[in-house]
Amino acid sequence: MFKNCLLPLVSVFIFINHGLLAQKVNQFPKKTDPLHKKVEMFDRLMLGNHWNEGAIMQHVIFPPAGLEQPIIGSQADCLDPTSEMLAAYSHKYAITGDPKDRKIANDIFEAILKLEKVTGVEGLVARSFNRTNEPLWHEEVFWYHEWHQSSSMPGYRWLGDLSADKFTSIFYGVGTFWELCADAEYKEKAAGLLDRFIGRVVDNNFKLTDLDGKMTLWGNFCPNLPHQELNSLEMLAALKVTHHITGKERYNAAYHMLIDRYHYDDHQINSKILFPKEWRNVGDDYHAARSLYMIMRLETDPSLLNKYRMNLNRHWYDWKDIEFTWESNIWFLMVYKVLTGEEIFTEEKKQGIKDMWGFERNTREFKIPQKDGSFKMVRSEEERTAAAMIRNYWFGRYYGIIDEKW
Amino acid sequence: MKSCLTLLTFLIHILYLTGQEKPTPPEGMVYVPAGEFIMGSTYGDPDERPQQIASTKAYFIDKYEVSNTEFAKFDPTFKFPPEKKNNAAVVTWSKADAYAKWAGKRLPTEKEWEKAARGIDGRVFPWGDTYDNTYVVWDQKETRGTSIAKPASPYGCYDMAGSVWEWTSDWYKPYPGNEVPMEQYGETYKVMRGGSNFNNHSFIRTSQRYYVLPEKIHVYPVGIRCVKDIN
Repeated sequence: MFKNCLLPLVSVFIFINHGLLAQKVNQFPKKTDPLHKKVEMFDRLMLGNHWNEGAIMQHVIFPPAGLEQPIIGSQADCLDPTSEMLAAYSHKYAITGDPKDRKIANDIFEAILKLEKVTGVEGLVARSFNRTNEPLWHEEVFWYHEWHQSSSMPGYRWLGDLSADKFTSIFYGVGTFWELCADAEYKEKAAGLLDRFIGRVVDNNFKLTDLDGKMTLWGNFCPNLPHQELNSLEMLAALKVTHHITGKERYNAAYHMLIDRYHYDDHQINSKILFPKEWRNVGDDYHAARSLYMIMRLETDPSLLNKYRMNLNRHWYDWKDIEFTWESNIWFLMVYKVLTGEEIFTEEKKQGIKDMWGFERNTREFKIPQKDGSFKMVRSEEERTAAAMIRNYWFGRYYGIIDEKW
Repeated sequence: MKSCLTLLTFLIHILYLTGQEKPTPPEGMVYVPAGEFIMGSTYGDPDERPQQIASTKAYFIDKYEVSNTEFAKFDPTFKFPPEKKNNAAVVTWSKADAYAKWAGKRLPTEKEWEKAARGIDGRVFPWGDTYDNTYVVWDQKETRGTSIAKPASPYGCYDMAGSVWEWTSDWYKPYPGNEVPMEQYGETYKVMRGGSNFNNHSFIRTSQRYYVLPEKIHVYPVGIRCVKDIN
């Protein structure tokens, strides 16, 4: 099955060697450029090279192994940059009011709808999709055996086994879109999506279940099963957002059931593992930050707000000294400022924001499996994602943390 | 005289039973006695149902998962980073099966695996019903026996929750009485047990079942824990 995929790959190499085919966008900013210019240029790179029918790919490899769109790479986390770009354009539209920005946000949202449609099951959302009839080579090497041929969208394949962090991406991205950007038609679509998606999780006793009916590897929010404290926070935040957007009492009832009967409000406080120190995981902090950002702006009960604030404070214990090593770190501090109102941005931290960067384009060799079981080394270019940086920028602009002249 | 004979008979019986019930395990293995135990769950995935009383013969089972170093003795071509010499070996089912045979052992059935992990009382985890991160291997750089609390199963096995998944000899099939359809049931997938250090807490429950293609494990970390029959 890989042979068919590799033939076009080889062909594309030949074209590249002759200079006939190149990446859609090749212009990179300079590190010395002002922030707004860097964001503008990375935005073009993301929309040009990472666009997969509205879904934003976290990792693209050139040449694209036979597809028209350069989407071959790790796809398991593509809901993260997709939701980040959806949030970015929602914040941007809230500032500019430009219909072009709203159109891009609508298109990205439509891709999340497609991630549901491609599975053929209402409320079951895929991690990612590709327009192809054949399995692609990276399916064998970049994730678990969870790729499916779509029966509801012939000609597409999709990746299952959705996780708690992608669950968070969905309610954060769609919730932000509903709040800041969607018109009446899209508000209804966004509410419908969250109703089906979160509703399915609730109906399955707070588990993300896959096509096979089993709980996914990282889909456990269930009160009857041991789960991480972070997952309790994510579930409460999802229910709060979905109740706010759909107005359906069932989500409010589920929220209070998890609190009153199962004490999720207490459990979530310790989402952040602080000790032993080597167990601190800033990757998980990203999911906590998105959840706290959504839930703390919607919750009005002082007792519950106090518990969410305790959770935030435990994160702050680590974040206050954090180095700006990746773009999500910078966002943690922005979220903290938005939720607490505390002036935490020193000149040094402001400079860190001004220095935000997206990605470098690298060249490396990929070990591509062949039909006969052997591997072929192929040298290619790759890009990671700048979506978090772009989201940070428009988030910061929206909340007055970033000056448009920076 | 009669009392002495009675006492002698009783002692011989006790010695016989003791000898039957606690044979000395081979090095690196522990003894699991014959008998019934609670298998499956009422709260996990549909394939864990129905919860049932199952039984096994007595057997020995490895105390730890097979390490890279141990596996390399069987397969000298097996490569691993030097710093991972004591980590659990991650291999396909056929390699695991071949290793077990080479070692004069075999892969456990699901029943044997689950009984060794949870004992007879239906507990959620090998150590009991509560969870803490210190009970399992958290750091993916290491696997075997490196958790902080180092809890043992009721029979003295380590890392039956977390570390790497472990192969069983069984195909992925429904338990008797389970009528929830699964297209994966049959003789395509083998069952792996015990979860790994890369999945949520619920996957390290003793009754959790997961199916995987025996020769295409992708990035699932699946290792080996062997059993040995008692003659």
